[in-house]
Amino acid sequence: MMKRTGCCAFAALLLSLSIANADAHPHVWVTLHSEVLYSADGTMTGVRHAWTFDDMFSAYALQGIAHARKGQYTREELASLAEVNVTSLKEYDYFTYARADGKKLKFSDATDYWLEFKNAALTLHFTLPLKASATAKAMQIEIYDPTIFVDFEFAKDKPTLLSGAPPQCLITADLPHQPTPAEQLRLSQLDNVPLEASSTYGEIFANKILVKCP
Amino acid sequence: MLTAAAAILVIVAINPAWTQGTPFGAPHHDAGIMPQSGLMAWIFAKQAAFYRSLSGFIRASKDDGAAIWGLFGISFLYGVFHAVGPGHGKAVISSYLVANEETWRRGVVLSFVSAGLQSVVAIVVVAIAAVLLGATAKAIGLTVRVVETVSYVLVILIGLRLLFVKGRGFLIACRELISRPSGEATASSSGEANTVHRHDHGHNATTTRCEHSHDGGDAHHVHGHRGHDHHCHDHGDHDHDSHDHHASAWGHAHGPEPAELAGAGGWHRGLSTVIAVGLRPCSGAIIVLIFALAQDLFWTGTAATLIMGLGTAITVAAIATVAVSARTVASRIAKARSGFGMLLMRAIEVGAAGLIVAFGALLLGGYMASEQLWMFTG
Repeated sequence: MMKRTGCCAFAALLLSLSIANADAHPHVWVTLHSEVLYSADGTMTGVRHAWTFDDMFSAYALQGIAHARKGQYTREELASLAEVNVTSLKEYDYFTYARADGKKLKFSDATDYWLEFKNAALTLHFTLPLKASATAKAMQIEIYDPTIFVDFEFAKDKPTLLSGAPPQCLITADLPHQPTPAEQLRLSQLDNVPLEASSTYGEIFANKILVKCP
Repeated sequence: MLTAAAAILVIVAINPAWTQGTPFGAPHHDAGIMPQSGLMAWIFAKQAAFYRSLSGFIRASKDDGAAIWGLFGISFLYGVFHAVGPGHGKAVISSYLVANEETWRRGVVLSFVSAGLQSVVAIVVVAIAAVLLGATAKAIGLTVRVVETVSYVLVILIGLRLLFVKGRGFLIACRELISRPSGEATASSSGEANTVHRHDHGHNATTTRCEHSHDGGDAHHVHGHRGHDHHCHDHGDHDHDSHDHHASAWGHAHGPEPAELAGAGGWHRGLSTVIAVGLRPCSGAIIVLIFALAQDLFWTGTAATLIMGLGTAITVAAIATVAVSARTVASRIAKARSGFGMLLMRAIEVGAAGLIVAFGALLLGGYMASEQLWMFTG
């Protein structure tokens, strides 16, 4: 009995060592503004994002970038970094997923991208054109990192905008729900038991933009 | 019943913050699992909050001398909480201590040295790459990745070596247990051990055989390639120190000199583990340092990083102490029943060595998975 106790205590110790693994997931925080673009004929053509990175990540990304005036970066000085940003974002589908009445839509490569440095933070501006413009009664655009490495959060003021949409269309921003304890547990283990590349776990914490055109 | 109580005790001891409960006031769906996840959620949220408040404190400390104490306080707390996560070597160090029957004092020292080394590596990487060379985030990211990979591979190698050594110890204990009833236990066991001993010598000149004097030759520890792991309980073996000095190839290449770790019992035995664990800089510390550098506060960032390391050390040391205590309890119980008891201890050592390999592999795998850490910077 005593021996079994010691053994089990030990097993419990090892178990807790492996369970007790909370790490700083996410690692990068993004505050987002998104504009849903419509053409004159009333079809949706794409999304225009403005993503502001957290100040620490901004400083990190700016490390070693040549700039003429201390503490200031021009759009031109940041052009190569913006290029790197959108190129690597492409691998992650720009973390942007759109559905027209439930049907998945595809985006082309980002265009009109540039970086802005303001208030100690970098903001990445880019446009995602739809491969084929679409119309729908309910358009849903979700922004999330499936692996929850990047934390996306709608900006406090005017997170979403409609541009050129028919007047009867209404846009709303749906915040992700607070994780339940079970979800938190999974989140806390992400570094040890990472999600597979194909996983869509982060979807349950998506920031949702809804455009309803009755 | 007893076992369950012991298990709960151990978990509570490891997670002192358990009593804090869930901060979100989220409902508990299942009483059995939720306290754990509630705690994890709490740690998770706290440490993210501490991390995110660091930048504000660093910026404030520029104009306000008092803010620097806030920064140091938050850095310390961040270190304490963050170290609960992987990559800070608590699991590797704990397993190492268990596999090698180390004392808690050594556990604490190894924890502090490895955490200190982690901070120093982060500072050195940023000082050289960012301050001196003006390297980009991409270059620094690549450097960290290389260092990380080396660290994880070293962990795996240390684990494999321990697994090999402890696996033999286990097999020998097994054989002795079988041959014991034959009445010629002593003769046969020393015969076995000598065979192994000679065999080892064939591969490796530094191998030493140790005997447990209290156990009538019950278990022979067969020691492997590198001397710093030799640990006979009651030894007065003069050769050890000279072995140790030449043996730790990794240690002498990069790490603190043995003298820095010196204590009564020759602290340098755990050097390779400390280096393997300590090599890996925390990416959070690197980002904090670069942020501080961008504010012309590199020295403030350096101090904050060292304090973070102190916090990390305390968490790792606490967990290591629990691991060592659990091992001591188990070995006390095992000694009460020689034979199977010793076999059990050898089995625990083999298990702990196997865990080091597993942790190393997990970390290496985790590193592959977290490649996107640098996604926005290439």
